[in-house]
Amino acid sequence: MNFYKSLDSDTKPIIIALGFVIMILIVGTIYTLSTQGTAPLLRPSYVLQQLQVGSFLGIVAAGMMMVILLGHIDLSVPWTLTAAAMMATTVGGPMAIPTGIAVGLAVGLFNGLGVAYLRVPSMIFTLGVDQVMRGLMVAHTGGYAPDTDATPLMRFLAAEKIAGVPVAIFVWIAVSLVIALILQRTGFGRSVYATGNREAAAYLSGIRTKRVIIGSFMLSGACAGIAGVLLAGYSSQAYQGMGNPYLLPAIAAVVLGGTRILGGRGRYLGTVVGVILIVLLNSVLSIMQMPEAGRQIIYGSVIIGMLLVYGRNQAVTS
Amino acid sequence: MANGSPIVALKGVSKHFGATKALENVDFACHSGSTHAILGENGAGKSTLIKIMSGVLDPTSGTMEMEGKPVSFSKPSDAVDKGIVCIFQELSLVPDLSVAANISLANPPKRFGLIDHKAQNRIAEELLARINCADVNPNSLIRDLSLSRRQMVEIAKALGKNPKVLILDEATSALTSKDVETVYALLGQLKADGIASLFISHRMHEVEALCDTLSVFRNGTHVETFAKGTKSDADIVRLMIGREVGSHYPAKPNRPRPAPFLKIEQLAWERALKGVNLEVGKGEIVGLGGLDGQGQKELLLSLFGVMRGLQGTVTVDGTRIAPNSPAKAKADGANIALVPEDRKTEGLMLPMSIADNLIAASFNKVSNGPFIDGKKEDAAVRSAVEKLQIKVGDVENAVSTLSGGNQQKVVIAKWLMTDPDIILLNDPTRGIDVGTKQEIYKLMRELAEEGKAILFYTTDYAELIGCCDRVSVMYDGRIVSELEGDAITEEAIVAASLNIGTDGEAA
Repeated sequence: MNFYKSLDSDTKPIIIALGFVIMILIVGTIYTLSTQGTAPLLRPSYVLQQLQVGSFLGIVAAGMMMVILLGHIDLSVPWTLTAAAMMATTVGGPMAIPTGIAVGLAVGLFNGLGVAYLRVPSMIFTLGVDQVMRGLMVAHTGGYAPDTDATPLMRFLAAEKIAGVPVAIFVWIAVSLVIALILQRTGFGRSVYATGNREAAAYLSGIRTKRVIIGSFMLSGACAGIAGVLLAGYSSQAYQGMGNPYLLPAIAAVVLGGTRILGGRGRYLGTVVGVILIVLLNSVLSIMQMPEAGRQIIYGSVIIGMLLVYGRNQAVTS
Repeated sequence: MANGSPIVALKGVSKHFGATKALENVDFACHSGSTHAILGENGAGKSTLIKIMSGVLDPTSGTMEMEGKPVSFSKPSDAVDKGIVCIFQELSLVPDLSVAANISLANPPKRFGLIDHKAQNRIAEELLARINCADVNPNSLIRDLSLSRRQMVEIAKALGKNPKVLILDEATSALTSKDVETVYALLGQLKADGIASLFISHRMHEVEALCDTLSVFRNGTHVETFAKGTKSDADIVRLMIGREVGSHYPAKPNRPRPAPFLKIEQLAWERALKGVNLEVGKGEIVGLGGLDGQGQKELLLSLFGVMRGLQGTVTVDGTRIAPNSPAKAKADGANIALVPEDRKTEGLMLPMSIADNLIAASFNKVSNGPFIDGKKEDAAVRSAVEKLQIKVGDVENAVSTLSGGNQQKVVIAKWLMTDPDIILLNDPTRGIDVGTKQEIYKLMRELAEEGKAILFYTTDYAELIGCCDRVSVMYDGRIVSELEGDAITEEAIVAASLNIGTDGEAA
């Protein structure tokens, strides 16, 4: 218990989430051993396959974390992701992937300008942008799945393997390294924490808080764009609503990983653990052949329950 | 002074905030049918006194009596029920509700359990007519009214509670001259009606004109109560000060006034600044004096690029500057640093580490390209901690774990790291212990000796006298008096702050 108490408040949630991951593994394995006599959760191939699916979520969550650290939120992720995928397959060829990322950056720039300069609450502004992107994509495709295909490079990045390890996981690792480096080792990253903690103090310290907000939203958009490109590669094409299942899990992963929803604190490692936790929870629930309704209830209850545990640890200060 | 038993009497009342003694063993009484002025410097305990009387604060010890019976209020509405009504400095109106709804906010007239709008408007009309404001439409929203009209609605709201004791805390400071006349007339009428009015104002001529009894407070104690006309202005000022100026300030250098480095000409901003002229030379500490809220804060913030829509010119070393953000103000060319008023919300990111707070203004100085250099960062943090002798266990601890004085040192150290030419200080010693205060005085003098230009706003007159080469006193958005050398005395500063007898020679 002393060890637990000695941890700083940024590390505690990560330890708790990690404990929960192990608990899910144990409970899931006991269940499979008793019903099927096998332990698929401990098989490397199964774990890697789950992580491949999880890497799309992981990339979205990495961008989402930048925005949540500021105390904002990016609800435009679903259709930013879809738009990036659709535009990438439409353009095709070597420019497919840059196009997808550029779409994400552009939407992020627009979000950032709206939040930083117009001072519209991000929850409203990005929600509106999400609808606008949806409308644009329906207009572009006529409401059907576009008949254009993902390029071979997109398929390679999303669905192929190198030495038995899915390439998508390497992409997730690369994105993670970039985000972690930005957060820990750049003035921009420190400014994100400062602005999220106390915007007035950051501004009066001479930090260009508007640029920080715009930069963070652009990173979030870029991550959504990368995820869209990969997802299109994974399913060989883009389709309507492909980003919808990623919004809530991405926010949940960031918050479960210990990032404060009001901004200012949280470590990137926590977000990675949060993503693994959510992916694992989903896969255990599907192994148990839980009906969809029950799965949703358990999934939501776990998120609320864990946040309650965190809340008890963090004394209300200042 | 009125005869008979007082309507409100405080006996041995003390109020402590932690170690700070805001009121200490105060006996105070006021009588029906009198207009009673309460005078004192900033922090003398006036606001605490009226907050206790109106039930906002509980006294730490002591008792309060009304009409001879002991009372204790657990919340403001208890005081209102007993007839003590306060008009606070900060307006307490809801901007998005109508005038009538605001006036009857606490106790609206009801019909079948629902608010009776007709009755509500009638009440508002009657009260507004009583204070000569019949031109205010009871249905208009508060947000659409001018500040002066809002203050009048506030007064109407207070009258609607049928007060026996009416407390006006700086209630006339936002009024236009026509409305001030109305309030004067109203106070006369209230006096005739046998209501006791407690009047807090920094405008001496108002006090002279309106009040029959004066009470002076100083450092949380009640010094004296006397009838109007028994003491001269000079006597009153002396009663308000009445303490020794400490000698714990570093010696001031004796040398001719340096050439101006920072030059401010006719700086104006909205209603707060009305044409400020000021010069600060390298190596000089120039104090900004005056009562709270005369534009000192706005002056510092506008130099730092926070205010939009400035008029006038600011030059640094002969070059005109017009920063539009703190980022520009701290950049080359201006090199300005600001230690803001409230360190907890403006100076520091409290939950972040000491190290992160220290480097927050100078990422470019500890980085190679976009990346922060860990070695440079450590070295910069260590030298800052050493230079200001900040008492820290581990620089990775949250800055909120430090004492107030050490937190303030972190704010100052953060700005020294940017190597500024001009340092703006907004009340840097507020709420910190005497020892740290002296270290900050010493540091200020050292920085001046290094050739920095320092502009220093403080509410403590002793600091102005002890630290500053020159003192400029602000009143109503202007500098009304500039004192230098031996002319910097408490009497001169207080007189200038109250703008007594200096109207003619205002700068």
